[in-house]
Amino acid sequence: MTNETAQDHPYLPGGLILLDQWKTPETSVRKSVRGALNDIVMQLRVGVSPEEQAFQSLDDLPVLAGEKLRAFAPEPDPGLLATALNEQLCQLQQAGTQRRNVSLLVAPPFSGVAEALRHSQRRKLTPPDNLFMTEQDAAAWWNEQLAGGDWVVPELADFWLRHQSGLNLLREFFARIALDKAGNGVVGCSSWCWQFWVQYLPELSLVPYTLAPLTGEQMTRWFDYLASDREGHKVAARMTHDGLYVLPAPEGKTTVKYSSFTQDLATLARGNRGVALAIWQRTLRARPEKDGEQEEKEPAIIAGRQCWVVALDQLSLPSAPHSVGRQPGHVLHALLLHGGLTTEQLHLVTSLPEQEVCLTLAKLLRADLVNLNQASGTYEVTPLGYPAVRKHLQDCGYPVDGF
Amino acid sequence: MDGFGFKDTFSSITTDALLEALVVVVVAWLLIMLVQKLIPAFASKLSGKIRRYLLASVPLLRLLIIVLTIVTVVPILVEPSFENMVAVFGALGLALGFAFKDYANSLIAGIVTLYEMPYRPGDWIEVNGQYGEVRSIGTRAAEMVTLDDTVVVIPHSLLWTTLLANGNDGTDNLMCVAELFLDPNHDVARMQNLFRDAVFTCPLTKTYQPVIVTVSATDDAMRYRLKAYPLEPKEQSCFISDLTARAAAVCANEGVRMVSKRVTKPV
Repeated sequence: MTNETAQDHPYLPGGLILLDQWKTPETSVRKSVRGALNDIVMQLRVGVSPEEQAFQSLDDLPVLAGEKLRAFAPEPDPGLLATALNEQLCQLQQAGTQRRNVSLLVAPPFSGVAEALRHSQRRKLTPPDNLFMTEQDAAAWWNEQLAGGDWVVPELADFWLRHQSGLNLLREFFARIALDKAGNGVVGCSSWCWQFWVQYLPELSLVPYTLAPLTGEQMTRWFDYLASDREGHKVAARMTHDGLYVLPAPEGKTTVKYSSFTQDLATLARGNRGVALAIWQRTLRARPEKDGEQEEKEPAIIAGRQCWVVALDQLSLPSAPHSVGRQPGHVLHALLLHGGLTTEQLHLVTSLPEQEVCLTLAKLLRADLVNLNQASGTYEVTPLGYPAVRKHLQDCGYPVDGF
Repeated sequence: MDGFGFKDTFSSITTDALLEALVVVVVAWLLIMLVQKLIPAFASKLSGKIRRYLLASVPLLRLLIIVLTIVTVVPILVEPSFENMVAVFGALGLALGFAFKDYANSLIAGIVTLYEMPYRPGDWIEVNGQYGEVRSIGTRAAEMVTLDDTVVVIPHSLLWTTLLANGNDGTDNLMCVAELFLDPNHDVARMQNLFRDAVFTCPLTKTYQPVIVTVSATDDAMRYRLKAYPLEPKEQSCFISDLTARAAAVCANEGVRMVSKRVTKPV
C-alpha cells in the first residue's frame, strides 16, 4: 500500500505525503554550521542596528518588476493546484490509502492549499460571523452546514479564535470528523492551527496529508514550469556573479554548469513553496554584474527570454524585532495560528490592549514581517518574513508548527 | 619546618620567579574577570539552548583557568620534584584543613557542583525556603535572585546537608501551579474543562507540554490546581497571574464563587 501519490505532477512536485513523512530538505553540515553562526551573529546585531530589520537588497542591479516579473516568476494558478490536489486525493482513495470520508490537508502557510481549495468545485463552507458560540450553538451550526452535498473547508484556521469562548466550533467539528460523521469533505488546515489542536485534543487520531517539501531539484522544475509560456518556451535564469545556470531545469546529462541556488533556497525556505517563490521573485535581476563577461564563462543554451539571479547572500531578509516585551511574539504567534487577524481579534486572542496591539503592528509592518490584507482587513505575516518569524518564535519558546 | 623539607623546597624562589608567578596570577585573574563579564553579556543577547550552554560554561572555564594557573605557577616557584610537590600540597592541605575549613568545604562542594550540576545558571531553585533563579556560580558560593529581586548568596557547602529543589533542572521547562479555592456544590467536571481551556488559551502557555487541572476537596472549599509550563521560566509570575485571572473570569461567568485560603483555613 502506498502512502504517497504520483510525484511527477508539474504543479505539485513531490505530490501528497503523510504528515509524519514530512522532513526538511537535506543540507550539508557546512551550510548548517554556517547558518547557525549567521543566526548567532544576527541575534547579536539585532538592537545594534534596528533600522536594518526590513527587507533590503545589498546589490544595486536593476530588479525585475511588473510584467517582466510576472512573466519570469508568476504566481501559481490556484485553479490548477486545486485540480492537482483533487486528482491526487482521488488516487489515494482509489488506492485504499485514504478510507475516511473527510480528507484533511495540513500545510504550512503560503503553500497555496487554502487558495486552491477556494477554487474547488465542492460546496465551500465559510466561517460564521460570530466565532464565539456555545457548545449547543456550535452543534446546531455544523448540523446545518454539513447537511447537503460534498463540501470543502478551505482554511480551518478561520473557524476559531484562541479565546475561552472561541474553541467550541472546532471542538465540535473534530469530534464529528473523528467519528466520520461529517459527510464527504475536504479540509485545508494551516500547520500552526493543526499543531495547536493536536496538543489541545491529544486523543485526536486523524491521518492528514501534506504537500511534500520541495527539494532544490523539484524547486528548479517548479520554477521552470511556472515560467514557461503557453507554447512551452523555456526561460533561462543565470547567476549575476558567475553566470551559472539556475533555469531551465537540466534534462538528462548535460555539460552546462548549474548553480546550487535552488538547493540553498530550498533549505532557507524549509521546502515551503510560497516562501521560496517570494524570495525567488526578489532575486531576479534585469542584467548581470558585468555585461558580456558571463557569456564568456558559460555560453547561452537558450535563445530568447533570459533573466539574472542575485545570490542569496545579497539579500537581507526581514529580521525579527528586538523587544524586551512579549508583545511582538504574541502578535506574530496569533497571526500564524489563525492565518491573519484584525486588531480587534488580536486584542481578544493575545489579551493585549488594542492600543498596544496597534503599536506592535506598526513596528512589525515597518520591519516587513507583517502586511495588511486590504481585501479581508486582516494583518498577516509576510512570506519573506516567515523564516525569521518562525525562528524567532521557536527561540522564544512558543509552540511552532512541524514544518 | 626542615622536617617537611620546606627550606629546600622554597630555596629556589627568587624575586624574578615571584614576579613571573605574579604576572601569571594577574593574567589569570583578568581572564577570569573577562570570562565572568563577557560571556553572560554575550549570552544575554541570545536565546534558547545556546544561552544556557554559555552561562553554564562560565564556572567551568573559571575552574579550568584556576587549574592551569596552579599548574603554571607551582613549577615557577618550586622545582617540580615528587618531594617538593608532597611538601607544597601537604602544607596547603594543612592550612586549608585548619584555618579555612569551611571555606575549603565550600570550594570542594563548588567543584562537586560543577560535576554533579545540582544547579546551573538559569535554574530556578529552592534552598532553605529561598526561591529564585541562579544568577552565577562562584568558587565558594552561588548567587540567586529571588522573585522580589533580592540577591541570596548560597554557599556550596549547603549542598552536603540541605535539601535542594530544582524547578527546571537545566531546561526551559518549569511547571507552574495556579491555585484556586472555590465554593463547593458546582459541576466539577465542567469547571475542570473550562480551566483547561483557560490554560490553553493563555498566550504564555507552552501547549506542547502537559496541561493538568487537578481538584481536591478541603474542609470548606474545592481546591483546583492549574498546572502548566510558561514559555520561559522567568515569566512564571506573569503566567500564574494570567492563569489566575482567566480562571477567576471563568468562575464569574459560571456563577461559582471563589473563596480565599484564609476562609478555608481559619487561624
